[in-house]
Amino acid sequence: MSDEIILDVKNLSTVITTDRVPVRIVKDVSFQLRRGRTLAIVGESGCGKSVTMQSVVKLVSRNYHITADHVLYRSFRSGAPKEYRLDKLAPYGRVMRSLRGPEISMVFQDPMMSLNPVYKIGDQVIEGLLQHNPGMKKREAWARALEMLKKLGIPAAEQRINEYPHQMSGGMKQRIVIAIAMICDPQIIIADEPTTALDVTIQSQIMELMKQLQTEDRKSIILITHNMGLVAEMADDVAVMYMGRVVEAGPIQAIFENPLHPYTQGLLKSVPVLGMARDKPLIAIPGSTPNPADLTEGCEFAGRCPYCEAACLRGVIPSFEAEPGHQVRCLRSAHGEVN
Amino acid sequence: MAKYVAKRLLLTLVMIIIISFAIFVALNNTGVDPISFKLGLDNYTPEAAAELREKLGLNAPLVVRYLRWWKDMLSGNFGYSIAHGYSIRSGLIAKWPATLEISLTAMIVSTVIGIGIGMLSAIWQNSIVDYLGRMIAAIGNSVPEYFFALILIQLFSVRLQLLPTSGRVPAGAVTFWDRLPNLILPVAALAIPMCGNLMRYTRNTMLDVANQEYVKLARSKGIPEWKVYIKHVFRNSMRPVVTVLLFRMTLLLGGSVAVETIFSWPGVGQVLTQAITASDYSVVMLYTLMMAVLMLTISFLVDLFAALLDPRVRLDK
Repeated sequence: MSDEIILDVKNLSTVITTDRVPVRIVKDVSFQLRRGRTLAIVGESGCGKSVTMQSVVKLVSRNYHITADHVLYRSFRSGAPKEYRLDKLAPYGRVMRSLRGPEISMVFQDPMMSLNPVYKIGDQVIEGLLQHNPGMKKREAWARALEMLKKLGIPAAEQRINEYPHQMSGGMKQRIVIAIAMICDPQIIIADEPTTALDVTIQSQIMELMKQLQTEDRKSIILITHNMGLVAEMADDVAVMYMGRVVEAGPIQAIFENPLHPYTQGLLKSVPVLGMARDKPLIAIPGSTPNPADLTEGCEFAGRCPYCEAACLRGVIPSFEAEPGHQVRCLRSAHGEVN
Repeated sequence: MAKYVAKRLLLTLVMIIIISFAIFVALNNTGVDPISFKLGLDNYTPEAAAELREKLGLNAPLVVRYLRWWKDMLSGNFGYSIAHGYSIRSGLIAKWPATLEISLTAMIVSTVIGIGIGMLSAIWQNSIVDYLGRMIAAIGNSVPEYFFALILIQLFSVRLQLLPTSGRVPAGAVTFWDRLPNLILPVAALAIPMCGNLMRYTRNTMLDVANQEYVKLARSKGIPEWKVYIKHVFRNSMRPVVTVLLFRMTLLLGGSVAVETIFSWPGVGQVLTQAITASDYSVVMLYTLMMAVLMLTISFLVDLFAALLDPRVRLDK
């Protein structure tokens, strides 16, 4: 493991049991997050990208069963790096909780639902700060929160900090959620579709803000999204997920310029481009996502894949290294057939 | 906040006036002539009736009589029972402490136990506590108070002979411990159904809140689970629970009518059952008015609690 890798996930699987039926939602997912970089986890709704990240930090319900070879978090906070095996920690135990906030924090999808309606903005921002800094005075925490709100470009922060969530707009609320995530100065921010619920102009402001925080403080970001435009703008590395599996992963140029998996290719072709020829139809991936409970064997994408052959329907498709750092889980790459 | 409270208070007063007027008019039109009751069959002559009507001021217009009714009530004169002649003040109003004694105790007991077990049920969902709690809640919800009263008497008084079957030891010279045995059974009969209701309500509301995104965000801050439950889950579950709790209070008083009769508890419930069987409408009228005022007061308290607990209500323009 290189020095610069802050989070290393190896063969993470999550099984969710609903009504006594276990379903594998995340299957042998591996990825690495580099320090100061952004990793985008891309895929359509229901592909398991959120569950993957919630499994990494263990913010899951009791009916989730998580296994992994390892989930290694390396803290660079003070002097020599300190390593934590997240997969070995109790989900709500003391050590795991001490990491949530000061080391790894999260920004959730829907700012409308992410804030507790009965507490003041300021109280919600300082809650984590007070938790992780025993002995800190409330006044001091409040001053830090105010400073953070100002840094995030919230107008009239002195007044806003005393308001309640229902008094704010969606964009403002998402800034508050980011302030909550940032207040303990974490090393990794996991942003789960942070702009999906916002309109486009606010989207770009929020992403701009996150980018700025990253370059200033050398933070690592995991961006969960289905928005390819956002990926192109933000990411250094990309992992494409389909039905619980990482089907293709690599540096951004490799994924965008030389997509190898038929699913990635379909995903990139289906992005509408402004100024696209009017008579050219928008390409869509045929079919729809299967029910995860129905998938037992073979490539998850086989049913929708134009290149599907007999071998694709058997066993587990292994991952191949098509070029250094560029992995793809497709038999065509094994044959050396490229596009 | 002050404006909100003032508005609600004014609304409550207006409602009391409207409802009291409705009760007054309705009971005046029941066709029961109080004069014939007052005179009795033997003394009834049209002349005597007319004379008494004039003397009692019953010939005045309805609105005038209504206003007089309020004027008398506000000066402490609640009138007389038509059937039995007792003053309502001593016969009905003075019975309230006994009724409030069992219903308030039942409310406090069921609130503590109901919300407590409901919370544990939600935190340890699908555990043994949860299953037991849900079973008790189902029984408490489906079996009425008077049935519990009979079972409790059969079990604790008749079989085990641990507790008295009926009666009340009045407050005064005796200690609380002397009075307690008589209190236990009626309170239990009232508290069990209410407890079941609160348990189920608290559990379901808390589970609902526990699945909210903001609870997940609270957990992502690294705060301990007990703080997550107290600060984020419980606090947000309180508003609906308090609403149910307060409105159950009126049902409790209604339920106490049957329970008081079974346990010979000298409260308003007993007076009311007698009054209804005797068509004693002045007593029924006052009881109805008191229940209506109580209901409106509780409504007001519910609104007040909602405002205290939720800034969205408090800060609403």
